[in-house]
Amino acid sequence: MDQKTIISTENLVKTYKDNGMEAKAVRGISLEITSGEFTAVVGPSGSGKTTFLNLISGLDTPTKGTVMINNKLISEMKGKELSDFRRDNIGFVFQSYNLIPVLTVEENIEYIMLLQNVPKSERHERVIKILEEVGLSGLETRRPTQLSGGQQQRVAIARAMVSNPTLILADEPTANLDSEMGSELLKMMKVLNETTGMTFLFSTHDEMIMDRARRLITLKDGLVKTDEIR
Amino acid sequence: MFYLKLAWRNILRNKRRTIIASIAIGVGLASMILTDGIMIGMKDNLVDSATSTLLGEAQIHHKYFRKTQDVEKTIINKNEVLKELGGDNSVDKFSERTLSLGMITSPSTVESVIVYGIDPDSDKYLSKIDNRIREGTYFGSEGKRDIVIGSKLAEVLEVSLGDRIVITVAQAFTGDLSQEMFLIGGIYHFNVKEMDNGMVFIRKEKAQEMLNISTEIHEIAVKFTGIRMAEDKNLTFWEKYGSGENEALSWAKIMPELKNMLDMTDVSLYMMGGILFFIVIFGIINALFMSLYERMFEFGILKAVGTRPGGLRKLILFEAASLAVISNIIGIILGFIGSILLVKYGIDYGGIEISGAYMHEKIYPVMTIFQYIKYPVFVLIFTIIIGLYPAIVAGRMKVTDALRKSM
Repeated sequence: MDQKTIISTENLVKTYKDNGMEAKAVRGISLEITSGEFTAVVGPSGSGKTTFLNLISGLDTPTKGTVMINNKLISEMKGKELSDFRRDNIGFVFQSYNLIPVLTVEENIEYIMLLQNVPKSERHERVIKILEEVGLSGLETRRPTQLSGGQQQRVAIARAMVSNPTLILADEPTANLDSEMGSELLKMMKVLNETTGMTFLFSTHDEMIMDRARRLITLKDGLVKTDEIR
Repeated sequence: MFYLKLAWRNILRNKRRTIIASIAIGVGLASMILTDGIMIGMKDNLVDSATSTLLGEAQIHHKYFRKTQDVEKTIINKNEVLKELGGDNSVDKFSERTLSLGMITSPSTVESVIVYGIDPDSDKYLSKIDNRIREGTYFGSEGKRDIVIGSKLAEVLEVSLGDRIVITVAQAFTGDLSQEMFLIGGIYHFNVKEMDNGMVFIRKEKAQEMLNISTEIHEIAVKFTGIRMAEDKNLTFWEKYGSGENEALSWAKIMPELKNMLDMTDVSLYMMGGILFFIVIFGIINALFMSLYERMFEFGILKAVGTRPGGLRKLILFEAASLAVISNIIGIILGFIGSILLVKYGIDYGGIEISGAYMHEKIYPVMTIFQYIKYPVFVLIFTIIIGLYPAIVAGRMKVTDALRKSM
């Protein structure tokens, strides 16, 4: 595997069993994603993109095949090892913001650093810095409910990036935002991708993301239909 | 510390639900604390009623006296026993008595009674006859022929204060009948049939003379320095005064039916406590599971971003403990207020008979700091034990199931 390769999947298969019936969500995907990519995985509903991202992030285990992230075989990891790996290497941005409502903006962002035992003063510094980068300076003491949808998603992005993971996985990050907010958010992520060199991998239906992505992977029936680098 | 902070905030997130659940659990806890206090108060009341009315907390007899009721079965080495009792640290008061079956005759009728020969000065510490005199006095005159009888007996005999009656008893060894005339000096009323109808009290010296037992006695009623000493099987008293030809018995042995009833009271206390405890525990289970299922998605997020299963388990257990702490505070406050009211006003069960013992006084709960520690600690421990299940569920939860369509 190339040094710059962040994600490598080989013959990835995921089969679900329900009432004795087998459904193949992913039928054998092999691909590589390299450092600093801004990639979108697209496809119609049921194409397997959610399952594919779940497998890459270690949230689900493959029926067959392997997933390597940063040269680590994540598909074989379990329990504490897997939790720690996700904590240190993957940042998540979910569709519906998914901040912890009882925590302030600062506490939400510093949570992962807290799991990493980063000292309090350093945590605070990094939170202030990342809030500046996502344009939310001065809002660290607010609760998520006191923020707009766009602001909440920016906090979610700040949380995903603050521990400097190598990979940001974003599931329909603009789905709950209006087009203006979505566009701003996307612009911001693009800038962060360019300035930090972090790898962004989206699952999306949003044409805006598809237009701006440097690589577009289209899935159909659990297989890669097209893989286009722009 | 972070998980503890998060747990408290989660608990306080839905304030209304937390308050309702905590009040429900707190009321259960307060009920447990008060029930415990009331049951102890009721037991003490019953034991006190039984022992202070006439029985005493312990009695010493000739080994065969209670079985045979033979008046010649007097206490062996009486003087030595009395001397030792006088110097015994565990003994507060004691009183010598004679006991015999006899007949009481008035101009109208004859009744069978138990004739107690007592020393009025010492017996007033062991019985409540002196407190229950309705007419006349408790051996107020120096006359040897004074007799104190119950109100019902007076009614049956159709006699009143100052009237003459005749007591007939069988003498020791010979069985010869001995008769003496007495003047009714006092009439007591206990509202207890056996006492008001079936007992009479005369001076000990007169009884000894009638029974022809010189200065011998049949019974020594004893009051210990502590109310629970009579229940202590290891007390040296029993061995010391119950060896040889004499027997020393606690009230529990003399009134086994009361003892059994009190033991049953303990069982019913445990059962009641158990029921209340289950109510409390189900309140906690309900609150915890509602909170868990409502926040599955949130747990999924926490797990996805790298929270270890142990971290989630810790969070849920802290939430359970936080709920228990709030409930305990409410329960302790309610219990304390309830106990102040009950200690002030008491519960009136006056005149009710339970297994031969009559409650003459109101029941007052016996509250100790131990009750305010024991039950809250139980609630805390059981809440944490119960919290283990949702904690394990959350720890094992599949992130994709929790997040459903996310990612």
